[in-house]
Amino acid sequence: MSGLFDKTTDALGSSINFRLLKQNVASSNIANAETPGYKAKKVDFEQALSRALDINGLGQMSTDHPDHFYANGNSMMNVGADVYENPDITVTNDGNTVDLEREMAELSENTILYRATLQLINKKLAGLAYAATEGSGAR
Amino acid sequence: MDFATGLRISSSGLSAQRMRMNTISSNIANINTTRTPEGGPYRRKDVVFESMPETKNFGEILTSEPDRNLQRVQVTDVQVDRGAPLLKYEPNHPEANADGYVAYPNINLMEEMTNMIQATRSYEANVSAMQATKDMAASALEIGR
Repeated sequence: MSGLFDKTTDALGSSINFRLLKQNVASSNIANAETPGYKAKKVDFEQALSRALDINGLGQMSTDHPDHFYANGNSMMNVGADVYENPDITVTNDGNTVDLEREMAELSENTILYRATLQLINKKLAGLAYAATEGSGAR
Repeated sequence: MDFATGLRISSSGLSAQRMRMNTISSNIANINTTRTPEGGPYRRKDVVFESMPETKNFGEILTSEPDRNLQRVQVTDVQVDRGAPLLKYEPNHPEANADGYVAYPNINLMEEMTNMIQATRSYEANVSAMQATKDMAASALEIGR
């Protein structure tokens, strides 16, 4: 995506999508905190985001000829995060691996960071609105 | 994947814990019950929790592979304790057998109370998760405002 909404807006968009996934996974872990044999799940958020942002540039397909298709247009929204069984756990004698305190902490951290991301998006949009009205106080 | 998924998962946790709470209440209320419709003393009940993939509706189950990472919880069974009853020597009790022993339910009050506290805490954890998800959804509506 180019022009008005740059890479930062895309990154913030995929960031809140990952936060939502993380929230749902944490809810699932909490609901199953006492289900025998349930294995706690974890979302690899940071890695998924850096892959989405393509920080090291490996996912980029370069176009050096006018006939080449632009290949990585709106790829950022479609990147899926890895969800896996949390290896860093304590097993209870019924085979359940949920650490309720840790999940609660993760949940509140996630909520705060979600709101922070939303604030950044709002600031970004406010900046655009300011430019669109030539600074004449739309906001 | 939306906010409703998280809310549905948390609510499944709430109803499972409520069901567990009802069972514990039943156990505590019947701690001295010596007569039941099935005959014999009351037998201790225990819920069985099972996790299952969260799906919206029947169509979704048919058409797509459910997301195995998001699991709701459900009470799939209520098990009846088949252990031997507690025999107390009370020859004047109307339910006493030929030797003067009365069969009481084998319920440990302390065990039921600790289970009750655990169920309460789990319920609260699910309420907090639900609240957090609701707050996130509400703040998402503020985008661009």
